[in-house]
Amino acid sequence: MLTGALGVYLCLFLALYFEVFLLISFLEKKPALKTTLKPRRLPTVSIIVPSFNEERTIVQTLTSLLGLEYPKDKLEILVVDDGSQDGTRDIVAEYTKNHPQIKYFYKENGGKYTALNFGITYSTNELVGCLDADSFVSPDALTEVVKKFEEDASVYAIMPAMKVSRPRSMLEHMQAVEYTFGVFYKKMFDNIGALNVLPGPFSIYRREVFDKIGLFHHAHNTEDMEIAFRMHHNGLKIVNAHNATVYTTVPRTLRALLKQRARWSQGFLENSRDYSYMYLNPKYGNFGMLVLPFGLSAFFLGLYITTYLIFTVLQTALTRALNMWATGVPVTFHFQVPHFDWFFLNTSMMTFAIIAVMGLTITAILLGNKIVQGKLTFFSYFSYFTLFGFIAPMWLARALWGAARSRPAPWR
Amino acid sequence: MQDWRKYTLAFFITTAIFITAFYIAARIDSSRIADIRGAQEAIAIDLLSSEVQFELLGNLDCSIIAEHPVLTDELNSLAERLSFAEERLGSDTAEVVILKKQYTLLEIKDYLLMRQISQKCNTKPVSVLYFYSNTGDCPECSKTGDVLTYLRETYPDLRVYSFDYNLDLSALQTLITLRKIKTPLPALIINSRAPVYGFKTLEDMEKLMPELQTLATSTKESTSSATSTR
Repeated sequence: MLTGALGVYLCLFLALYFEVFLLISFLEKKPALKTTLKPRRLPTVSIIVPSFNEERTIVQTLTSLLGLEYPKDKLEILVVDDGSQDGTRDIVAEYTKNHPQIKYFYKENGGKYTALNFGITYSTNELVGCLDADSFVSPDALTEVVKKFEEDASVYAIMPAMKVSRPRSMLEHMQAVEYTFGVFYKKMFDNIGALNVLPGPFSIYRREVFDKIGLFHHAHNTEDMEIAFRMHHNGLKIVNAHNATVYTTVPRTLRALLKQRARWSQGFLENSRDYSYMYLNPKYGNFGMLVLPFGLSAFFLGLYITTYLIFTVLQTALTRALNMWATGVPVTFHFQVPHFDWFFLNTSMMTFAIIAVMGLTITAILLGNKIVQGKLTFFSYFSYFTLFGFIAPMWLARALWGAARSRPAPWR
Repeated sequence: MQDWRKYTLAFFITTAIFITAFYIAARIDSSRIADIRGAQEAIAIDLLSSEVQFELLGNLDCSIIAEHPVLTDELNSLAERLSFAEERLGSDTAEVVILKKQYTLLEIKDYLLMRQISQKCNTKPVSVLYFYSNTGDCPECSKTGDVLTYLRETYPDLRVYSFDYNLDLSALQTLITLRKIKTPLPALIINSRAPVYGFKTLEDMEKLMPELQTLATSTKESTSSATSTR
């Protein structure tokens, strides 16, 4: 039991260390506010929309791309249909009739990375991006990204700030807070040059990236993570354009959410195995020294804390039940107004350490919310703090199980 | 390029937060000890006052004593606090041991006073002296404590005095010798009868204490809880 508690203290220390480190990074370099400045030059851009059975959201995705404040002759939209079986083909065919800017391609199903590679090979433009068919861009997102490329010629890829599109249910609100937290730590990873993923919703690459390091790989169904690993391996800089906002739809059911997150987490584990040499390797800077080790630690320590809590609760419940059975003392319920007595409050060091971790987490979420000028409600926070601790361990366990059995995590 | 200064600074800040957490927790624990000490002093004064009152009255006026009942509730509340502090700080902590000794003395004094009053006023209180050990040699003590707690909650007038058998306190050791208490524990002395050893279920305990029938039962939760039984 003592060892168990020591493990929890270790988890808390690491979580706190990580948050403190990110907050120091924030104070060192606060995210710049959005300006009305325009880029000096607008490069040609291809946005690939890989789609597989996306009839529900594809029109909204394409409409948002057409709404980008960018010259039509410099922006091409490539819808690569990865063998959809639903009405995606007809819907896009109808839509493209009035929008010659959009090109539609149908190919045999081969996985998202094959659709992306198809688009990259077809396109000849200077910048190549991707937008998942369940996401929508804000009108100035591309301009903001181009400004970032212009600011620093050594930048090879840019990821946007992601927000959840119109959360309704408790599960969606939980994810809205989680994404907002993500906005903060992604920006801080950017500050320390250690972004670990180039997510499907609107990550933009210079064409040279693919000439230098090749196309997307299958990468355990997390090609967007693997390419970031590969870019770090090749010393290609990735940054975050926090003023470029992308809205994404999130899983509505617990089942779909677990499947999605288990895929991400399992992908992280398996890519970590493939790129294990980067771990704690100063050659890869903060990515190798901080982000990777902490990511992996968070994975296992999250599982550890959950196991410890479940074990403690079960042990207590079992002991009580056995005692009740042995003593013959009946279960009694006393209904009375609880009276507050500070004496019996749990004021252990662990309580205060947990308060510190929670406090910094809330600070990070508030900062993330400020960066993207989000509109999180009390209900959002309530959903996050009520659900996340129960749900996250489920996908971690599922990912670990999948990785242990070397079973590829399904897309959907 | 990673920044070693930042790594070090983050480490120091995190350590400082942990030290602060430790300091706050320790300060609150000190306040707890002070709170228990304060409660013990108040009880000691009340007990002394009762004893003096007892001496003064000589030919005891039982109605006055009835108006000022001995301190079961206060002692139980103190026991609850002490038990919590013992759990938080560990039973070996010097301050906890001192508080426990003081508490034990108060229990013995209360027990003696109760006996004197019952003899003079011809009352028939029901009392249990419960001897436990928390050094790991009494696996049944925890369950016995549960049964006694339940009984005390059910019968608020039942007087349970629990004693740590291994406490290094001469008054307690004298009581143990006088009552001829031996290991293995738990041991119970019900209304000054011969000691009963071993774990007793609720049913057994009710059979051992037919006097319980004379006590009023509680319909609401008593403020008392288990004294330290581990």
